[in-house]
Amino acid sequence: MRDAMTDTQPAVEVRGLAKHYGPVRALDGVDLTIQAGEYFVLLGPSGGGKTTLLRTIGGFHRPTAGQVLLHGQDVSGLPPEQRPTGMVFQQYALFPHMTVERNVGYGLSLQKRPKAEIRDKVSAMLDQVGLSGLGGRKPHELSGGQQQRVQLARALVLDRDILLLDEPLAALDAQLRKDMCLELKHLQEQVGVTFIHVTHNQEEAMTVANRIALIADGKLVEEGTARQIYEAPDKRFTASFVGENNLIDCTVVGTSEGAATVDFGSGQLDIATDTRVSQGASATISVRSEMVSVGSKDDPGLPARFVESVYLGLTTSHRLRLANGTEVVSRVVSSADHPLEPGTPVTVSWPPSAARLHID
Amino acid sequence: MNEYANPWGYRLQWAYMLLIVVTLMAPVFYVMYVSFNENGFGAAEYVFTTEWYGVVFSDRLMMNALGWTVSLALCTTLITVPFAVLSAKFYKSATNKLPILFLLMLPLFVAPDIFGSALLVYFKNLNFAFQWLGDQLGTGMFDAWFRLGFMTALIGLVIYTTPYAFIVVLITMGRYREEQTEAARSCGASPWRAFWDIEFPQIRPGVASACAFSVILCFNEYTRTSLLKGGFDTFTTVLVSQMLNTGMSEQSYAMSAMVSYVAIALIGGIILWTLIRSEKLGREARAKAEPVPV
Repeated sequence: MRDAMTDTQPAVEVRGLAKHYGPVRALDGVDLTIQAGEYFVLLGPSGGGKTTLLRTIGGFHRPTAGQVLLHGQDVSGLPPEQRPTGMVFQQYALFPHMTVERNVGYGLSLQKRPKAEIRDKVSAMLDQVGLSGLGGRKPHELSGGQQQRVQLARALVLDRDILLLDEPLAALDAQLRKDMCLELKHLQEQVGVTFIHVTHNQEEAMTVANRIALIADGKLVEEGTARQIYEAPDKRFTASFVGENNLIDCTVVGTSEGAATVDFGSGQLDIATDTRVSQGASATISVRSEMVSVGSKDDPGLPARFVESVYLGLTTSHRLRLANGTEVVSRVVSSADHPLEPGTPVTVSWPPSAARLHID
Repeated sequence: MNEYANPWGYRLQWAYMLLIVVTLMAPVFYVMYVSFNENGFGAAEYVFTTEWYGVVFSDRLMMNALGWTVSLALCTTLITVPFAVLSAKFYKSATNKLPILFLLMLPLFVAPDIFGSALLVYFKNLNFAFQWLGDQLGTGMFDAWFRLGFMTALIGLVIYTTPYAFIVVLITMGRYREEQTEAARSCGASPWRAFWDIEFPQIRPGVASACAFSVILCFNEYTRTSLLKGGFDTFTTVLVSQMLNTGMSEQSYAMSAMVSYVAIALIGGIILWTLIRSEKLGREARAKAEPVPV
């Protein structure tokens, strides 16, 4: 296996990648760089183009325009079997007529490796993914989680540099998905291979990713670490998709160096921003629900009325309505919650650093 | 099964199904019965004998006809089944499936005598055209290309059997998941290796059924074959000709019965083998289904 972490070439470079199906633009000029040894997640809503991007990297789609470079080499015209990538599919991808051992050893047998070597490698890989002793079973005799581990073993045993995972946990139940997330993360750290993982589940993405790219409408919306994407989303779409953000429309009424004053109709606020804004521009601010505090009507903040509370176990969500009609959610730890009557006049506020200004 | 349903309804369904099968198979059983009668069809006295089964192999007309039928059946199967597999693959991958289905099913919608006579006229005209071409070029090499004979009968049978073979293969192929081909290719398999190693073993029952279907259809087919065969006879044309002229000979009954034994044994064997195998796999799966750590 290539020493992924010391390789100076990016593992994957995508340049101006487009994939069109007639008038439908599944991918539209995507540029992306993924470093060797990264656990990279393509996150986004269904139909946004993330699977198309992954499959184009893997060679299952021929790009309409643009390039795919793997370790600096343009592979845009190569079929999947000639690319240094392995793939894990959502489900139904194990060979049902073969045992687990034969499934895992299939790629090695195509390489005409000696039988003893195949046996040893398969055994070691099954051990690594926690399937020792199940090599003689057929896929239908395994649970969903075990089947996905067989897929992982089948891809990893080939010592490829890049592993593509297309919604690998989507068919598993919630608890198993959580467990498998951590296992995937640890496995990637052990083997050091570049993992590119597609999911629409943000919790899954944040658990495993070194970096996340948000894909929607065939475009790369934003990329960054999980913390950057969650705590400081640059784009309005990111704020709406990741976490539970309150999006409040406003107008920029004043600007100064590194800050802007915005008007909500029912009040004004100063917001720190690096974005260049002009006076009079329509904008949106986003504030995560856990950063919103509810105060009494005389406290400083935007005036609002309490609507209702929704108990969610660990946390409770309070729904509040601003004077301009915008709904705001405040999430608090349930044990620290003080119930209010619907219609009670309150104020909502947040720390100055918690609000992000979006012009897009 | 609906546990609140009247059990007599269930029994009635079984009785109805058995009645249909017996009605369909009764003539075949009768042929078998007659084939063991020393006095042949319609005799007042039934005397059991196996003599006709011995005589059948010395009947040159019958053995020749059987030889031609088997040759036609084998050649038809060798052409039809791979074509059906390719067509089914093309159909599955096509965006617009309806025109492909329509084109492949078209031979089913034309009456056999119309199709046979249309092909007869077509081949005759083609034969004239090729002979003319040979004359113009001063060679006799094109003379026999479309003269009525084995080749023309074969084309007729291929056209006839293709829709059936296509449907049988397509049904099996419908259950196959394309992700498996993609997984094989991501393991390094070429498209052909992915098909041969992964897809083909899973559609093999369909391919085997399509082969059996093609062979049986070739034995069954009369109209197109009799119009397109030219100078030789097949098993079916001999039987029909005997029936129309002198009545079936005793050895014809024996031969018909033998063909039926083989067909029933073959299909019954496949069904039995499938049942035993699925029971064995089910037993193995149940034995291994004890809780295991995820």
